[in-house]
Amino acid sequence: MADGLITLTIDGVPVHVPSGTLVIEAAKQAGVLVPHYCYHPGLPVAGVCRMCLVEVEKQPKLAIACATPVAEGMVVRTQSAPAKRARTSVLEFLLINHPLDCPICDQAGECELQDFTFQEGRPGTRYSPDYPKRFNPVEDFGPDILYVPNRCILCTRCVRFMEDVAQEPVLNVSERGDRAFIGIHPQGRLDHPWAGNVVDLCPVGSLLSKDFLHKARAWELDRTASICTGCSQGCNVTLDTRDDVVVRVRPRQNLEVNRYFICDHGRANYRWMNRGDRVEAPLVKQAGSEGYRAVDWDEALDRVRIIVGGASGKAVAFASPRAATEALFLARHLLGGFDWTGAFQLVMGDEEPLAGVPNLALRAERAPNVHGAELLGYTRDMSAALQAAEQSAVVFVLDDPQVSVRTAGAVIYLGTVMPEADGATPDVILPITNVAEEEGTFVNRDGRVQRYFQAKPAPGMARPAWWVLGELLEGTGNGARGMPLACAADVFDLMAESMEAFGGLSYAKLGLVGRTLGQGAGVPA
Amino acid sequence: MAIGVKVMKRPRTETSYLRATLQGMALTFSHIFRPKVTMQYPEEKSSKDWTISSRWRGTHRMLTDEQGRAKCVACGLCPQICPANCIKLVPGEDEQGHRYPLIYEIDEFRCIFCGYCQEVCPEEAIHVGVHYENSEFSRDRFVYDLERLCAQTHPVSTLWDPSDSKGE
Repeated sequence: MADGLITLTIDGVPVHVPSGTLVIEAAKQAGVLVPHYCYHPGLPVAGVCRMCLVEVEKQPKLAIACATPVAEGMVVRTQSAPAKRARTSVLEFLLINHPLDCPICDQAGECELQDFTFQEGRPGTRYSPDYPKRFNPVEDFGPDILYVPNRCILCTRCVRFMEDVAQEPVLNVSERGDRAFIGIHPQGRLDHPWAGNVVDLCPVGSLLSKDFLHKARAWELDRTASICTGCSQGCNVTLDTRDDVVVRVRPRQNLEVNRYFICDHGRANYRWMNRGDRVEAPLVKQAGSEGYRAVDWDEALDRVRIIVGGASGKAVAFASPRAATEALFLARHLLGGFDWTGAFQLVMGDEEPLAGVPNLALRAERAPNVHGAELLGYTRDMSAALQAAEQSAVVFVLDDPQVSVRTAGAVIYLGTVMPEADGATPDVILPITNVAEEEGTFVNRDGRVQRYFQAKPAPGMARPAWWVLGELLEGTGNGARGMPLACAADVFDLMAESMEAFGGLSYAKLGLVGRTLGQGAGVPA
Repeated sequence: MAIGVKVMKRPRTETSYLRATLQGMALTFSHIFRPKVTMQYPEEKSSKDWTISSRWRGTHRMLTDEQGRAKCVACGLCPQICPANCIKLVPGEDEQGHRYPLIYEIDEFRCIFCGYCQEVCPEEAIHVGVHYENSEFSRDRFVYDLERLCAQTHPVSTLWDPSDSKGE
């Protein structure tokens, strides 16, 4: 075998892992998930739940897989009779005081206690129904967190997260024995900007999100891989939708970016995706009146093609850094024949780092695609762009930036909602989709290109911005290639061809975890 | 174009209907003296010989607790198991912090009366009823809301018990 790798056997399957790996992680390579509660790859090992007991050959007693490092020639049996019997007994102890309230528990369906009890628990209880279960009232831990002590199995994941990862130790295990519960500092609150992660870490329904409380059952949710739009960190998230409404944002593992965590800002940043006041049809300004007329896409696109085709001189594109890289690229590609200025509007906030994880923070730049926009030649300098807009022939407004444009030329507005800012009224309003309704990529602050996927259908006739701009590109002949842009991947390929920074990348290569751009700076082709 | 019709010659005693008629009337009138088996629905709905099965699966009923509130905790299992997709449920929280259904509606038109909702219910709240008189004057009345489900008074189905498969 290769150097530095240790060979061991788990359930008869030989595995090769680096020295220092824990048996529980090595077992995953053998395709065995050892039941566990206190172990979590993002937290220090505690070994308190005793759930991951496995049999190791030539060791007199069962060993906990989460705290046993691998050794050369080790033979581990996770499914042997003594190991299974021991785990069944641990489950029986955990269930002594666990209430039978799965029907009203938010964790039901994604509960590890349910899963492992179903897998290897006792079919019935040996305790009399007259025996009273431990009862403690529900506690309010923080702005978005409830603690239900009755359901707690004292795995201490939350305690270790606050102590070692957030490094704000406000939780502990109070009392002892069967009276033990998770206690909070009497003057403390669970209001750390990253505290919401304890809800995800909790293997049972003991720590609950107030925001998600009673909202949906786990089995009703559809899950879609996405990227958080809260800041330029670009955390990988999962959008949980129920009946085409986004109801929850959860972290998605990416060891290079956010590991297993997302901040509370990103967790709560989903309501705008469900806005009901969307533009649902292309609108063109009526000649001689203030009003708009709803038209079909062909007519609206023709109108824009006439405007863009007949203009020359200066052009300005105002974008929001929430727009996909594909849309930003096509917008500047479309305006290639003009004296072009691009700007985006950036909301700034406070930086909130997660102390225990290097290079992970809620960034001050509160938009996901700042780096991508800058790479494509857009600047943060809104005032210069606003000045340039006054003399320009065409102004593109992309993805709802809050700008009031003063211009002599035509304004083409691509947005999800009607323009709110005052200023020049757009000549054409084209409805586009938001991040939950389209496919695309963002470039995070470290230059990592990451894909997001469509989680729900678009309202009405709204189309992705890349599609709208791609159709326009076909008509104006500004560098259109022979093939139509049929999907977001085609746009990305076109971008990879013409932009050196994106060279060699494709949707297939990005996959679910993304790729970092090459060291070469973004030189326009 | 005449058609040749063969005319049979039969004695009058064979061609007369009188005897057959009298035989039929005799059978008919003999029933007057036999026991009655017809039930006078709707005045009569059961007799000593026949009652509706306790396993009958008819329109639903939601059971209530001592305070008159629906026992339902909005766990979402019945909409999940329902093969006809006829249950609409929106969970919420009441003043005491209990989980309860904000909206609970069953579309009895879509329902196929399989009884899975009763079988799956962990709180023994929703039941199919021993009830078959469901007519209404408008279609929308067939969507039973929570209030109506709680107000039903008919007995609930015992369903089929696997340990007592013949119902004895």
